[in-house]
Amino acid sequence: MPVDQRRINGPEVTIPYNIYFDSNAKQTETRKTLPKKRTDGRDSTELRKIFVKTGIVSQAKGSAYIEMGKTKVVCSVFDPREIPNKTGYSLQGELFCEFKFSPFSCLKRKIHQQDSEEKEYSIILQRALESAVCRHEFPNFQVDVYALVLDNGGSSLAAAIMASSLALSDASVPMFGLVTAVTAGIYQDRFYLDLTEEEEVICSKAPDESTSSRNYGIVIQANLPQHGQISEFFHVGSMDLANMKPTVEAITTACKELCPVMQQCLVKSVLKALKRKENMEKEDQ
Amino acid sequence: MRRNLPRSKYQKGIIHPIKYLRDYLERDIRPDGRQFLRVRPMSVNVRSITQADSSSIFKIGNTTVVCGIKAELAEPKVETPDCGYIIPNVELPPLCSPKFRPGPPSDQAQISSKIVETVFLNSGVLDPRNLCISKNKLVWVLYCDLICIDYDGSVMDACVGALMAALKTLTLPEVEHNPDTGAIIVHPSKRLSVPLKGAPVCTTFALFEDQLLIPDPTEEEESLALARLSLVIDGEELCGVYKAGGIPISQEVLMKSLSQSKKRAELVRKLIDTAISST
Amino acid sequence: MDKLKDPIICVPGQRLCVSDKINVPGPGTYEQHGYIYSKLAGVVKLAKNENVCTIEVHSMTEQSIVPAPGDIVTAMVTIVNQRFCKCVIKCIGDIVLTRPYRGVLRKEDVRATEKDRVEMYKSFRPGDIILARVMPMIDVHTYQLSTAENELGVVIAYSEGGASMIPISWTQMQCPKTLAVEFRKVAKVIPEQIALE
Repeated sequence: MPVDQRRINGPEVTIPYNIYFDSNAKQTETRKTLPKKRTDGRDSTELRKIFVKTGIVSQAKGSAYIEMGKTKVVCSVFDPREIPNKTGYSLQGELFCEFKFSPFSCLKRKIHQQDSEEKEYSIILQRALESAVCRHEFPNFQVDVYALVLDNGGSSLAAAIMASSLALSDASVPMFGLVTAVTAGIYQDRFYLDLTEEEEVICSKAPDESTSSRNYGIVIQANLPQHGQISEFFHVGSMDLANMKPTVEAITTACKELCPVMQQCLVKSVLKALKRKENMEKEDQ
Repeated sequence: MRRNLPRSKYQKGIIHPIKYLRDYLERDIRPDGRQFLRVRPMSVNVRSITQADSSSIFKIGNTTVVCGIKAELAEPKVETPDCGYIIPNVELPPLCSPKFRPGPPSDQAQISSKIVETVFLNSGVLDPRNLCISKNKLVWVLYCDLICIDYDGSVMDACVGALMAALKTLTLPEVEHNPDTGAIIVHPSKRLSVPLKGAPVCTTFALFEDQLLIPDPTEEEESLALARLSLVIDGEELCGVYKAGGIPISQEVLMKSLSQSKKRAELVRKLIDTAISST
Repeated sequence: MDKLKDPIICVPGQRLCVSDKINVPGPGTYEQHGYIYSKLAGVVKLAKNENVCTIEVHSMTEQSIVPAPGDIVTAMVTIVNQRFCKCVIKCIGDIVLTRPYRGVLRKEDVRATEKDRVEMYKSFRPGDIILARVMPMIDVHTYQLSTAENELGVVIAYSEGGASMIPISWTQMQCPKTLAVEFRKVAKVIPEQIALE
């Protein structure tokens, strides 16, 4: 690999220490299959507690922070800018999305540059948001959306989609509706919503040949719950066609559940802004 | 406090930035309502990122820097067989300010990384020999990534603060290394902290006309300042003075900034210690 | 600012009311399947005009907008040459932009009369703050601006001595310090100092 001259580099070969874990120690045992009961005691369709807040980056036009279990994502949005290196005229504005894991956010250290997974996630993020934004209002311009995962506890992309949608709204970018997203995992005959990182690892690997059901995979679905529309559906793995319907239905219900949380967060920020405005006017008088 | 100034014309800051700031400074007040020598409130939060070996979030006013340390294993350099590595990198992503573009690190990010590294080495906080597991064979590499989340001035102060807070809470698992077979066994349940000595604290100042010196400038003040100055102090020791260009500074003002940053260093040290003991 | 006791707060995608002859969608809203929805997070305002009620949503922060033809913008002159000057658009109407956009003002759009006798250096200098109108876009990335109206032109300018100059005619400004007179295409507005006091 070429040396990155713009950063301070470590030795060429470094090894994460967790591969040398004492094999006798009990806690290092990694699970191969999804347990019947989830490790955090949730029901299969139960979502983790979610915390959202807008306006956390003072320099950005709009920003949001989301916490889902251990997952923590920051997102910020900036004013429309000219699309670089563009010659033609486009009637629809563009969304530029960048999704990044911070180097310390995952079990394995991430490099500073975007890797292929992050690039793929950036595109999913863009597609999930695009249909919710009134892009005809800023023709020939692009709105930048940056999502940074500080801590990956699973379902980071879904968290990033929701945070970005809040940040866009916080930036007063005109939108047709809010976007919510949920990750679902399928493994054999089991089906879980809002995966933790451990569950994500299990669901993304095919089960052994010997097992009866060979279903596995991860589904990320983004909805516009206020309009009952799906803006993005992304699936990796392999599952029976019959599984599709219940999966989509379960995710759609979960996406609807999330909507009030986001609405409340926005209402709160509007109220706060109103109060601030009032105080300023009082001070001026 | 700001009553006499036309705040409704926020535009003033954009159209007339220099006059805007001068109007404030002439009235002995800063645009955010602070007195000249007041610093913004600070807060530290440690151990909130579960995937990192240690982490901290350091806030100064709006400015926010997150530090995460990931430890890995590597062979030491031949010339320093018993020294571990500390790799601090400052990241100023486009997320934190419209000033930055996606892509490779900006010049400023590179300079910041370099300053953090030199501050770290010069202050001797962490003896790299303490990161040695087996001489010539195996040492720790500490990847210290400092990511700015909100760029509102005095970012260096927040970077150094976040790094120190993260280092103070860093624990490393015990490692057994057999030098003959090369076998490595890690005991994740036995984690030990790394011995540290002192804690450097960085304080940034902005210099304006007539040698007016203000500590802890915001981004707005920094961009209009005629010169910037960062002092790094560790107890009674001075471990770095950074003043890149700008107008010359008088000796008297430099001395004043020294005593200011000494006071602030004490404050920051206490803040970090309380944050660590309260979690 | 109308002081509603209990402001109606809405979020993007929220259904506000039925869209019919009485209730029509205004700024910050859109119409779909016979209903009016909000596009923004903000406060609902009703603008009643005879029998028609326009539903509007006003956001708390300045809306993310880009200049459109016909808008009056505030811009700062950056480069002046004999044929045109380049500027940076800083505000659209009352809305302050956080990201500046580029604009170009050509020699023939400086004033409405005696277009052929315009001299760019006698109209603008780098650093001047001007009011201008956005013209229909020709180039993809730069906005064409025009100051060919009495109310448009230089509003704030600094003399060589660094002082803010005072307009003395529609083509001249004077420095209060050195009393030197400089040429500008001056906009017909009340000077800032008077407006503030």
